[in-house]
Amino acid sequence: MKSLFRKAFVFAAIGVLLYAAAYYASERLQYRTGDTNPFFKIETAEHDAYDWVILGASHAMPLDFSDFNAHMEEQTGLKILNLASPGTGPLYNRFVFEHFLTRRRTANLLYVLDSFAFYSPAWNEDRFADAKLLARTPFRPQIAWRMAGYSLREGVDPRAALNYATGFSKINNRDRFKPDLWEGEAQFDRVFRPSAFATAQRIEYLFPDGTADEAALERYLGEFAALLDLARRQGIEVAVVKMPVPSRFYSQLPDEATFDQRLSELPAMQQVLFRDFSLAMDEPGFYFDPDHLNRAGLTEFFDERLKGILMRK
Amino acid sequence: MLFNSFGFFLFLPLVLAVHAALPTGRRWAWLLVASYVFYASFEPTNALYLAFVTLVIYLCGWGMGQTERRPVRIALLVAGLVIVLGLLVTFKFYDFLAGELERAGAVFLADDAVFNLPRLGVVTPVGFSFYAFSAASYLIDVYVGKLAPQRHGGHVALFTAFFPKILAGPIERATNFLPQLREGLRAHPEQIVAGAQLIVWGLFKKVVIADNLAPLVDRNFAIAAFATPIDLLISVYFFAFQIYCDFSGYTDIAIGVALLFGIRLMENFRRPYLSRGTGEFWGSRWHISLGHWFRDYLYFPLGGSRAGRIRQYANLMTVFVVSGLWHAGLGYGVGWTFLVWGALNGFYQWVGLATAPVRRRLAERLPRLAASTPVLVLQVLVTFHLIAIAWVFFRAASVGEAVLILQKIAAGLGQMPGLLPRYPFTAEHYLGFGLIAFLVFVEVLDERRSIWQRLAAAPVALRWGAYYAGIFALLLLGRWQAREFIYMQF
Repeated sequence: MKSLFRKAFVFAAIGVLLYAAAYYASERLQYRTGDTNPFFKIETAEHDAYDWVILGASHAMPLDFSDFNAHMEEQTGLKILNLASPGTGPLYNRFVFEHFLTRRRTANLLYVLDSFAFYSPAWNEDRFADAKLLARTPFRPQIAWRMAGYSLREGVDPRAALNYATGFSKINNRDRFKPDLWEGEAQFDRVFRPSAFATAQRIEYLFPDGTADEAALERYLGEFAALLDLARRQGIEVAVVKMPVPSRFYSQLPDEATFDQRLSELPAMQQVLFRDFSLAMDEPGFYFDPDHLNRAGLTEFFDERLKGILMRK
Repeated sequence: MLFNSFGFFLFLPLVLAVHAALPTGRRWAWLLVASYVFYASFEPTNALYLAFVTLVIYLCGWGMGQTERRPVRIALLVAGLVIVLGLLVTFKFYDFLAGELERAGAVFLADDAVFNLPRLGVVTPVGFSFYAFSAASYLIDVYVGKLAPQRHGGHVALFTAFFPKILAGPIERATNFLPQLREGLRAHPEQIVAGAQLIVWGLFKKVVIADNLAPLVDRNFAIAAFATPIDLLISVYFFAFQIYCDFSGYTDIAIGVALLFGIRLMENFRRPYLSRGTGEFWGSRWHISLGHWFRDYLYFPLGGSRAGRIRQYANLMTVFVVSGLWHAGLGYGVGWTFLVWGALNGFYQWVGLATAPVRRRLAERLPRLAASTPVLVLQVLVTFHLIAIAWVFFRAASVGEAVLILQKIAAGLGQMPGLLPRYPFTAEHYLGFGLIAFLVFVEVLDERRSIWQRLAAAPVALRWGAYYAGIFALLLLGRWQAREFIYMQF
C-alpha cells in the first residue's frame, strides 16, 4: 500500500505540472482570441484614463460591435470603453466596475439599463459561474479575491471563484481557438423581420423567474444603487439610459411601469441623468433581432440621442 | 449529485476517507449512510421510497425464511413482487395510460361524455427501475432457495441503496453482493488501481464522447421533418454511440467507484457493437445485468427454449416487449415508441432463431469463409445497423417520427454518395467521427486482449502517458455542464 501511495504522489505531482502547463497555454491563447469579455478589455485597454465607460447587458453591446466604438470616439473626440456583456445584471456589472477602478480611470459612466436583469439571479449571481465568461477572463489574483469576496458576501456560488482560480473553464473551453465574439455581432448589419413568436420566446428567456419576486427586485435595485454610489464616491458622473426597443417587444415586458416607478424612487437615481428611450425608435428596420439595434438603428440613435448625452450637451 | 458533477468530486473522497478510517466490520454502516445521502441529494423524499422497498423485501424475505409452507412462501413472494413491481408499473405508466384513455375517450365517446382521470402528479424517484429489479431478484432468489433470507437488515439496505449503482445499475444480484459485505469491505491496491482506471474511462465515455455527440443528435431529432437525410443518418449513427457511451460510461464509473470500496459489481457491457448477431448483442454484451435478469426471472420461468418451438418464439417476444416497457421513461419519456422498440428487437430474435439452422449449415460447409475477417466484419456491421435502426424508436418522440426518420434516410440513400462531398461538415462532426473511431479502435484492441492487461504489461511511461492522455482529454474536450445520464432519468 505504501508503494501505491508513493506512486500516486508522483503521478499526481506530474499531473499538477501538466495542468499548470495547460493553464499557462490557455491563458496565453486567450490573449490571441479575446475580444468582448469586460475583464479582457480592462486588461488590454489602450488608455489608462477614459472619458466614458459603458456598462450593461446585451443591449449596450452593439455600441461596441464592428467599428462602432471607434465611430463614436471619432464623432465625439472622447475615449470610450464598453464593458457590457450579455445577460449581466447590476451585481455582475458592479463586480466589473470595481475591478475597472483598480486598473483604470474614467470621468463618466453610462449604464444601459434593462429591467429583466433586476428580477433573477440568473442574470446576477449565476453569471459569475458562467463558463463562457470565465473562459475569457484573464487571470488576476485581485479578480480571484474579489470573486471570493462576492461568494462570501453576495451569495455567489463559491465554485465560480474556484473555477476561475483553477482556470478550469479556460482549459475546458471548446471554443478556445475561436474569437470571443457574441453571436449578435455577426447579425449587426441585418434587418429583422418582426415575429410575434420570436418576441414571445425572447421575453420568456429574459424573465425566467417572472417578476413576482419582490425580494429579488429589491435586492438588485440595491446592487444598482451601490454601483451608482461607488461611482459618485469616485467623482464619476453617471448617466443611465434605457435603449430603444420595438413597441411590440416593449408592450410584452412584464411590469415595466412598476419597475420604472421603483427605479425612480431610488435615492441614488436622483443624482444621475436618466433617459428612457425605450419607445423612441419603433421602425423594424432598426433592429437585427427582436430587441437589439442594428447598425442603421444604432447610427440613428447615436446621432439623435446618445451623442448629446456623451458630449454632455 | 451526478457522477460528472463537482459535488460528486467532493463527496467521493470524503466517503472514501471516512470509509478507510473505520474498522472493516463497520464500513457497511457508513456506506449505507453515504448512499442515502447521495440518493436524497436528488430529492429527499426519494429516500422514503428506497427505504420502503427495502423494508418490503426484507420482511417478505424474512417471512419466507420462517416457514416451509409453500402457500405462505408463495403469498409472501407475490406480495413483495406486487408491491415493488406494482410501484414501478404505477410510476412508469399510470399517468401515461390515463392520458391515453382520455384521448381514446374523446374519440369514441360523445362530446358531453368527456372524462378526466386523476393524475399521480409525483416526480418518479430516480433509479427506481433499477433498484426495483434488484429488489425483486432478492425476493425470487430467497424463494427458490438460491439465497438464504438475510437477517442483517443493514446489509439488505445497503444492497438496495449502494450509491454507485443506485441510479442506473448494474442491476446487482444479492447472491453476488451480500457475500462481499459479510467478508468485510477491504479494497486491495489492484482494486484501487482498476477502480481509478474505470472511473477515468467511464468519465471519458460520458463527458467526452456521449456529451459531445448529444447536441447534434438532439438538434436533428428535434427537427426531423426539416432535417436532410444526411443529417438524420449522421444523427442515427451518433445516437447509437451516444447511448452506448452514456450508459456504459455510467456503469464503468459505478463499477470503478465500487472497487474503491472493495466491492465488485457485475459486468454490464462487453463491447456490444462488436456483436455478430442481435442475439449475442442482447444475450451477452449489452446491459448484461438486465439481460440476465430477464433470462433468469422471466424467460426461463416461461419455459425458455425447452417448451417447444412456438412457445420459445412467444417467450422471446414476451421478454423483449417487457424489456421495451421497462425502458419506457428512461431519458425520453413514456410512449408507444418503447413498445415498438422492444417488439422490433424481439422480431430480430425471431429472425435469428428461424435462420439459425441455415446459418449453422453454411458455416459447417464453408468453415474458412465463415471464420474469415470480411464475413466477421460484415456480420458486425449488419448487427450494428439493425440495432441502430431500433434505437431510432428509442430516441424519437413518437412512432410516427421514428418512421419518418427511417423513411427519409431510406429515400435519400441513393443520392448520398453524390451529396456527401458537398455536405457542410463542421468541427462538431469531425470531432464526433474522431471520437467514435477512437472508441471503436480501443474496443477492437480490447476484444483481442483486455486493454487493462495491455496497460499493465506496458512500460510505466506508456501506461502513465495513457492515463494522463485520458485525464487531459476530460479536461480539454469534456462537456462538464453536468448533463444527466440518459438511463437514470426515470
